[in-house]
Amino acid sequence: MIKKSILLSLAASVSLFAQSELEEVKALLAQQMKVTQALQKRVAMLEKQQKAMKHHTVTHHKKHHPVIAPKPTTTAAYAAAESEAAPTQQTAQTFDQKSFLPDIAVILDGSAVGRSVNNSTYETRYIPGFSSYDPNEEVEIPFNKNRGFNFNYAELALHSTVGPYFDADAIFHLHPDAFEIEEAYITSRSLPDGLRLKLGKFRSEFGRINAIHQHAWRFTAQPLVYEALLGSEGINDSGAQLQWVLPTDTYIMAGVEAMQGSNDVSFGDTEENNLYIGYLKSSIDVGDTSTLLGGLSIAHGKNDTGHNTDVYGADLTLKTALDSYSSIAWQSELLYRDKKHDDGSDKQAGFYTQLVYQYNQNWSGGVRYDLLFKNLSKEPDDLDRYTAMLEYKPFEFTKFRLQYTYDRSGAFGIDDKRKNTSELLLGFTIEAGAHGAHAF
Amino acid sequence: MKKIVLTTLILSVSLFARINVVASYPYLGKIIEAVGGDNVKVKVLASPKFDPHFVIPKPSLIPAIARANMLVANGAGLEIGWLPPLLKRANNPKVRIGAAGFVDVSRAIHLIDKPKAVSRAYGDVHPEGNPHFDTDPHNVLPIARYIVKHLSIVDEAHADDYAKNLAAFSSRWKRFLGQFDATMRGCRGKKVVQYHELYNYLLRRYGIKPAATVELLPGIAPSSKHTMALIMKMKKMHINTILQDPYHEKKTAKFIAAKTGAKVIILPHDVGAVSGTGTLEAFYNTIAERLCH
Repeated sequence: MIKKSILLSLAASVSLFAQSELEEVKALLAQQMKVTQALQKRVAMLEKQQKAMKHHTVTHHKKHHPVIAPKPTTTAAYAAAESEAAPTQQTAQTFDQKSFLPDIAVILDGSAVGRSVNNSTYETRYIPGFSSYDPNEEVEIPFNKNRGFNFNYAELALHSTVGPYFDADAIFHLHPDAFEIEEAYITSRSLPDGLRLKLGKFRSEFGRINAIHQHAWRFTAQPLVYEALLGSEGINDSGAQLQWVLPTDTYIMAGVEAMQGSNDVSFGDTEENNLYIGYLKSSIDVGDTSTLLGGLSIAHGKNDTGHNTDVYGADLTLKTALDSYSSIAWQSELLYRDKKHDDGSDKQAGFYTQLVYQYNQNWSGGVRYDLLFKNLSKEPDDLDRYTAMLEYKPFEFTKFRLQYTYDRSGAFGIDDKRKNTSELLLGFTIEAGAHGAHAF
Repeated sequence: MKKIVLTTLILSVSLFARINVVASYPYLGKIIEAVGGDNVKVKVLASPKFDPHFVIPKPSLIPAIARANMLVANGAGLEIGWLPPLLKRANNPKVRIGAAGFVDVSRAIHLIDKPKAVSRAYGDVHPEGNPHFDTDPHNVLPIARYIVKHLSIVDEAHADDYAKNLAAFSSRWKRFLGQFDATMRGCRGKKVVQYHELYNYLLRRYGIKPAATVELLPGIAPSSKHTMALIMKMKKMHINTILQDPYHEKKTAKFIAAKTGAKVIILPHDVGAVSGTGTLEAFYNTIAERLCH
């Protein structure tokens, strides 16, 4: 009995207590709402006042001619007073990290191709003396493989500053059936004395065009000599790079790279890292409007027979600006390879030279000549290719290109038959999002 | 003999003591020279003859940046197409973005024309606002003060010199502004068409109405449809002045002028852009004379 009454009274008191608390909270809420409303009114009024004041000062400005801005000391004092009075408005959510998001760019590339050989024949293409056709191996033709339509890639490029010491870049190539890490590397930000360090997987700065991405090339296909001596990927490998800008009036940059050497066209020894690259680049102005950029490069590594391969490169670019939007650029590159094996050494070489005329912001046109002039003793040394292109850019980040190629460098199939091919290509490339400007 | 050696040593040391300052555009070079005096050595990257948006990032410009103690940029996105790759290659942490030696003078300016919505569908827009504040001489002093603030941090030893130079430049410039304002007063109420929105700061300050642009959208060349519409508009609004910068094509402006009877005025956009604009004063005087003769 007693127990029951105690329990009841307890329950009652609890509910009573709860009741009174609820009332209290309700009253508090009502009060708060009143306060908020009052505050809102005040804010609206103040805003009105401020607008009127601004308007007044503007008209004042107009009437009496511009007033010189207040002295920095007063501005600083004013700012300090202001910050004391009202804490800064935070618009972001607590722990929001949006402002740390990297720059993101998407690059899309596709084409329509007409070619004088059908797809199955084109897949058996090789360059006599430089590459070979193996029916058992899958062929790798990275761009514009098909007659008809090609979607080459969607490239995703990310760039972000990691901290005071490093920047990070990652470039992914997404093909219709593959995901590929094109590059992913960090670059030092704070090394002294003109030094810069890069670590990761990246395109080597050997030569002129090797480090440049396909979407920034002036012709859709890779130069023949690169394809022949370094394969369709060029030198793109894991490793480390150190570059030094010399403290001279003339631009001189020296760079060294140590890489894994997984490029099996010229290197590819799998026992240990085998590739060492060095280069020297310099640039001078010729007159007010012309610039000359030249480079010498060497790549020293071990090939899959365990012997040494040396590739030497020399490049020269001359660009003359005719006005803000018009220029002529002449670019040439020569590569020489000495590839040793059990029975001696293979010495092969080739070059390309290209001339691009930028007519205005929208239109440009160019021609390129490719030649492999030094080959194995029994192989042809007149393997060449002619390319001409016309490019239309309705906007800076949108590009359409019509390109004609007459190629005398290929042989097809297992019967060693050289065959000249011609190709007409209409391609598009777009760069969307936050994409950094391209270098010279 | 000893004396000669000593003097050359001292000379070379004092020469060495000058700090290297790189400016993206010529007008900034002139302001730095005015407030930096003998303590700075100035190198300008862009030529005033070309479009400031489309400077060729020549590798030959890299050594100056590599050795700079300070880099002064216009900012507000104007150099985005050419300076970042040069900065990256120069490997100089002193002038990297965010370092004390990197000076973005747009921070000293209240930017106008800030787009409400940012999309590349509207052409080459600058999300920060209009970056062409250099065409208004009233922006020179805030920029000079901002540069001196940073010079005094980078080269603390000469902070007093910079303050003195600034005071001298300040009074020189205020005198100039008085005279400039008097010339510009005659232009109030004028309506103009400009090729690109290069002169908005100046026009707004002096009550001149920028009615339209010759180009279709920022950075996008005029289309014939846009040109015809512009001719109609100019006739309707009785606009008889086209402001043309020295570096864009002049054919369209001339065509419009022929159809409307308007006059094409070529205005410099920077120090040295047209002949006879070698100093800051000459640059602004040329603008005032050509706009409000």
